[in-house]
Amino acid sequence: MRTVVIGIVFVLLLTGQPSAQAMGAGPADTQAAPARTAADARVEELERRVRELEARLLALEGAPKAPAAARPPEPAAVDTVAPAQAAAATVAEPSSQTGPISGYMDLHLNKPQGEDGTLDFHRFVLLFNHSFTDRIRFVGELELEHGFVEGLEESGELELEQAYLDIQAKPWFNIRAGMLLAPVGIINERHEPPAFNGVERPFVDTFIIPTTWFDAGAGVHGRLGSGWQYRAYVMAPLDATKITAEEGLAEARQKGFLSNVRDVALTGRVEHTGFPGLNLGASFWRGKTGFNLPRVDSSVGLYEFDGRYHTGPFAIRGEFAHVFVEGADEINDFQQRTAGVNPNIARQMRGFYVEPSIRHTLPRLRADVGAFVRYENFDTQFKMPAGVLPLKQFDRAAWVFGGSYFPDPDVVFKVDYTIIRNRSTLFRSVDGFNIGLGWWF
Amino acid sequence: MHRCHLLRGGALACAVLLVMLTPGSGSSQDRKVVRVLAERFTFTPSEIKVKRGTVIEFRLTSDDTNHGFRIVGSDQNAIIPKRGRGEATLTFRADTPGRYTFECSKMCGAGHNFMRGTITVEE
Repeated sequence: MRTVVIGIVFVLLLTGQPSAQAMGAGPADTQAAPARTAADARVEELERRVRELEARLLALEGAPKAPAAARPPEPAAVDTVAPAQAAAATVAEPSSQTGPISGYMDLHLNKPQGEDGTLDFHRFVLLFNHSFTDRIRFVGELELEHGFVEGLEESGELELEQAYLDIQAKPWFNIRAGMLLAPVGIINERHEPPAFNGVERPFVDTFIIPTTWFDAGAGVHGRLGSGWQYRAYVMAPLDATKITAEEGLAEARQKGFLSNVRDVALTGRVEHTGFPGLNLGASFWRGKTGFNLPRVDSSVGLYEFDGRYHTGPFAIRGEFAHVFVEGADEINDFQQRTAGVNPNIARQMRGFYVEPSIRHTLPRLRADVGAFVRYENFDTQFKMPAGVLPLKQFDRAAWVFGGSYFPDPDVVFKVDYTIIRNRSTLFRSVDGFNIGLGWWF
Repeated sequence: MHRCHLLRGGALACAVLLVMLTPGSGSSQDRKVVRVLAERFTFTPSEIKVKRGTVIEFRLTSDDTNHGFRIVGSDQNAIIPKRGRGEATLTFRADTPGRYTFECSKMCGAGHNFMRGTITVEE
């Protein structure tokens, strides 16, 4: 045994010799150069590991109190369960401290031309998440709109926008059930204030796509490879009696409040994120809507395309959405007969926008500034039932100019000015000036 | 006596072999740096393929808020600093062929649970 140890020590000394020779040999010693390179590489590797450990220590000091790293490994939702691989994490700079609750807030000052300004705590949103296991997770999103709730919507809304269980089986097949966001458009699933330009959400994402569009449902989602991902849900349908001429589908959501599911709606989205900076998406919605209208067979169909691209400080995004209301004439007739008012619902609505923007980092202030311009065109009476003329005031176009200041990537101060026009000679749309303060945590 | 010589010779050969193999096992693994950009709610790239034995050094940056980067089944986790606040690194030894999922481990918004990707380790 002693011989073995002596042998090992001897050989180790021998193998260590070239390094020592190299140290004394000087740069001109070409024979020793390869050995020195190997030793240098080893030292470099050790230095790198020390740097990693230092940074990791720094990260742990600045990390949340219960980091996920502290949890024991659990079975992975993958084809092959990952063994305890030698993985090391380092963080260059301590991150924000966030507890088990995340959320975002939106405070707005809206000043329409010729009217008094209003100060509105528009959204106070809390997100909760919990992992039962690596495969079963819960996410909840509770939103208080306009700061105060007293019975009717005029005094605000308390909404459960998301509350679902995700059961993750395979990368390409996962099941989701509960209160879901309809996977339609850019903003509906991506509405944190620092994530979009402008104080208010785009008009197209308000009147044509009724964000935030949520309801009870269930479905599947996953990644198909090569940058493709999908979601497909069955959800509670829209209520045809709440579709309006001015606001389109905005009030037709049942919002999971005893949602009628005599018929269900189907919705889905495919997205491609395979090229750096580019995100392309297409979505649809289709469902019968006449559960509150006896003997009326109506349904709503919607298709939508969107794209986002950014390179360096420049970005551009655009969206197109088209809505079809089948049985619009029957809905109008029924409402006329029962309520005495014809809602003048269109059989087609359409909207689109294009928004180029720029965002520049100010290194000395460690802050970002941004500017954007958005052109929107939206018409909630794009095509009317036979024999009915559209009202021109609902064919609208808007230019929104604005800027943002980000003292932190999660905090944004926004200013914008909206010029809105319609085709009517009788009704004039009102321009507006908006200031917003939003944050995510 | 003869047996003693044999033992010493064998031990020496083992030791030489051990020393030869020790540095070899570290340097024979390919090291690959993969830069991943995280943003709501995607990783780019989100699909990574490597050969078995590759050591992947992930360099992780964010274009917006803090994100997490966790390889499911591994007990390690990196918090990716916010936009402009530096980068995180995470090293993964792809020793076993198969498909591994990585995911955002820090709530980053309404679509947080969609933020996933895969590492495919091929033979």
